[in-house]
Amino acid sequence: MELKNHFMRQKMMTKVLISLIPLYIFSVWLYGLRVLTLLAVVTLVGVLAEFWVMRLIQGDKVKVTEAALVTCALYTLTLPPTVPYWIAIVGILVALILGKGAFGGFARNIFNPALVGRCFIYISFPVQMTAAWAKTYTSLPGGFLRYGVDALSEATPMILQETQGVLTPLKDLFLGTVGGSIGESSALLILIAAAYLLYTKTASKTIMLWVTLSGLAFSSAFYYLGYSTAPPIFSILSGGFLFATVFMATDPISAPRDTLSQALYGIIIGFSAIFIRTFSLFTEGIMFAVLIGNSFAPLIERTVREMRAKRAAGGAK
Amino acid sequence: MVELKVIAKTNVTKENQILRQILGICSALAVTNLMTNSLVMGVGVTFVTALSSFTISLINQLIPQRIRMLIQTFVIAFYVILVHLFLQTFLPSISKQLGPYVGLIITNCIIMGRAEAFAAKNPPLPALVDGFFAGVGYLLVLLAISFVREILGFGTIFGFSLGLNFTPWTLMVMPPAAFFVISILIWITSAWAIKAEEKGRRA
Repeated sequence: MELKNHFMRQKMMTKVLISLIPLYIFSVWLYGLRVLTLLAVVTLVGVLAEFWVMRLIQGDKVKVTEAALVTCALYTLTLPPTVPYWIAIVGILVALILGKGAFGGFARNIFNPALVGRCFIYISFPVQMTAAWAKTYTSLPGGFLRYGVDALSEATPMILQETQGVLTPLKDLFLGTVGGSIGESSALLILIAAAYLLYTKTASKTIMLWVTLSGLAFSSAFYYLGYSTAPPIFSILSGGFLFATVFMATDPISAPRDTLSQALYGIIIGFSAIFIRTFSLFTEGIMFAVLIGNSFAPLIERTVREMRAKRAAGGAK
Repeated sequence: MVELKVIAKTNVTKENQILRQILGICSALAVTNLMTNSLVMGVGVTFVTALSSFTISLINQLIPQRIRMLIQTFVIAFYVILVHLFLQTFLPSISKQLGPYVGLIITNCIIMGRAEAFAAKNPPLPALVDGFFAGVGYLLVLLAISFVREILGFGTIFGFSLGLNFTPWTLMVMPPAAFFVISILIWITSAWAIKAEEKGRRA
């Protein structure tokens, strides 16, 4: 049994992995080398879980797809830097076994597996997932020579804004020298990754565009109508909005395929994210928003297809 | 007598109401966060299913076929009310925890299912055994689900602490967790059933 025969390379997924490298380097600087050990543990457990569950389906011809590696890498970036290893392990098991394997494996899952796993642990372990956030290193050598962070703080820019009305300067949000989940900090690096993904035609520009536009539109609406104290640009740059827009919403498996459906899907996600942030107890809503978008994706796609078919039939007459 | 044993066995295993017929899911989601609640609920359902099957089989000849379901519902309601009053009198705290779900036993598809599928066509004694073991199958699955949920959600079994120093899984206390646990159980048992079937075909 050669290992090579049990791994399926996927060019698109390699590009996603490449685009994540800067985010990982930056997060090591912010939070220490623990980020990398966390990634290693998650990937190891994830690959074993995928191998096990796909073996039930495919038998001896089992193949672990490169998409599983992407799931592991993305999932790790959504975790808080101080998350205990065992919670990370529970999440990645749920992601790949219940979020993906149970549906039949690669290309059959209706939800983004990384977010399914994160959602499960987010609701199961609210204290570990939201109460403590790491203080970031902001000078050299930063976290490059350290295992973890020394100090904890209770707030991220989003929590500061929601509880005390303090707005973190946009420059900090843009460059990413702020606390939060591992990969969400730097808007700049996420935009660079987005540019790379768009240039190599790996991710859908329609989805990215419409999620962002919808997020901007609804956060402006809620801000100027007085429901929210978070200005639109702040909303887009803070929390995981950009990260999820670029890496999660564009997941080619769980998103619709044609342009019109993608736009509608993007609007739903942007709206849900801002709506949950503004009106619910949860500070961040983008994770739920993408999952909500996922669950509507097949319906949107079918409706658009039927509408087009009807119009084509009408035109032919 | 052999036949009764077969009825008893298939009702718990091969034709388990929750795992194989996917019936009675609603209450399995609602009351399985604690084992004590599951036990009481399971015993209640077993009592109702057994006696209503028995009664329906007894009076089946006397009921006009057109209104048989109406009569069946009356019979089931009678036993549900007995269970409800019993719990209110002797186990008030559990009765409070189970809330509306005791009254809702009447809507449990398992009971009506057994009445229609078995009791209406069979003599009273087999009907009693059938209803009883359908209930036992339900009870066992409920206990299995709540075993997982109570350990992970509270770190206890039947309310007794396991003395573990661990982080409770908040999700396990909430009804959605039952979806995960039930579906994993169904996954495992279906895999078994398929394997057993294949073996049977080969033999």
